[in-house]
Amino acid sequence: MRWTLLAAAALIAVAAGVYVGGARVDSTASAEANAALVGLALPDASGKEQRLDQWRGKVLVVNFWATWCAPCREEMPEFIKAQAEYGPKGLQFVGIAVDQPNKIEEFAKEIGLNYPALVGGFGAMELSKTLGNNLMALPFTVVVDRKGQIVHTQLGNLKPDKLRSLVTQLL
Amino acid sequence: MAAGAHADPKLLPPEQAFHFSARALDDKTLEARFEVTDGYYLYREKLKFALDPGMAELAATLPVGKVKEDQFFGKVETYRGDVVVRLPLPAPAAGKSVVLVADSQGCADAGVCYPLTRQKVTVAVPEPGKGPGPVVEAVPRKKYWFN
Repeated sequence: MRWTLLAAAALIAVAAGVYVGGARVDSTASAEANAALVGLALPDASGKEQRLDQWRGKVLVVNFWATWCAPCREEMPEFIKAQAEYGPKGLQFVGIAVDQPNKIEEFAKEIGLNYPALVGGFGAMELSKTLGNNLMALPFTVVVDRKGQIVHTQLGNLKPDKLRSLVTQLL
Repeated sequence: MAAGAHADPKLLPPEQAFHFSARALDDKTLEARFEVTDGYYLYREKLKFALDPGMAELAATLPVGKVKEDQFFGKVETYRGDVVVRLPLPAPAAGKSVVLVADSQGCADAGVCYPLTRQKVTVAVPEPGKGPGPVVEAVPRKKYWFN
């Protein structure tokens, strides 16, 4: 009986892990890593602390990037477009730059960034590792649903089609 | 569930993508070498060498890289294939061992970049008139042949 219950619980856990709110979860992040991400507080480029939980209830797209990472910069105009289009419907992009604040500010201005760029150091890379970014490479993007559950992690570019299909499913 | 955040399973850790080794050419000169795996590249301006302890940057004449026009940074030089750098030793070290520290940063053509990667090798410096010494790898290749 005990084992049957355990097995049933395990099955439910697996099922819950795979389907949350109708969106397929394809993240390997643990519950602890998930909690660490949504509870994260980092300074923005002006030094002001920003907590990720201020956007609780929104669909979050957290993008780890750097100005020295060409593939990161290439996909950001697409993120800016998506923020403008889906922002009013409850989408919030948050960039975590593994970079120097002055470079982040300069680049944000240059491309007209319309979402916050937080400053992450090695700790941010370590966090991304716990979220499935084993090589701590960039860009790395995490999609979080309105309940704060990670539903997708992406190493390398998040293609516009993929981004749109994920976001429209969750909004 | 998909494993490893959709990473290409062939994506190498930076220490393997940018295989670092060094040897002493003689009692006054080290030779550092990066073997950059096909499909990866290093940034020239991010390549730095130092001796531990002290970590003062070594004067290095870096080879000319391939110039890429970057819309944000302007001209950026990158390396593919083998990069060989001669490093004059700042103080006599004949008959001793020195720890050479190399910082490098690069990307994969697959569309990801690695953070700054630090690799170290301990190189035996020969007596005057002798050398070159044996090549020392930061991560021995045989360790990851079967991974």
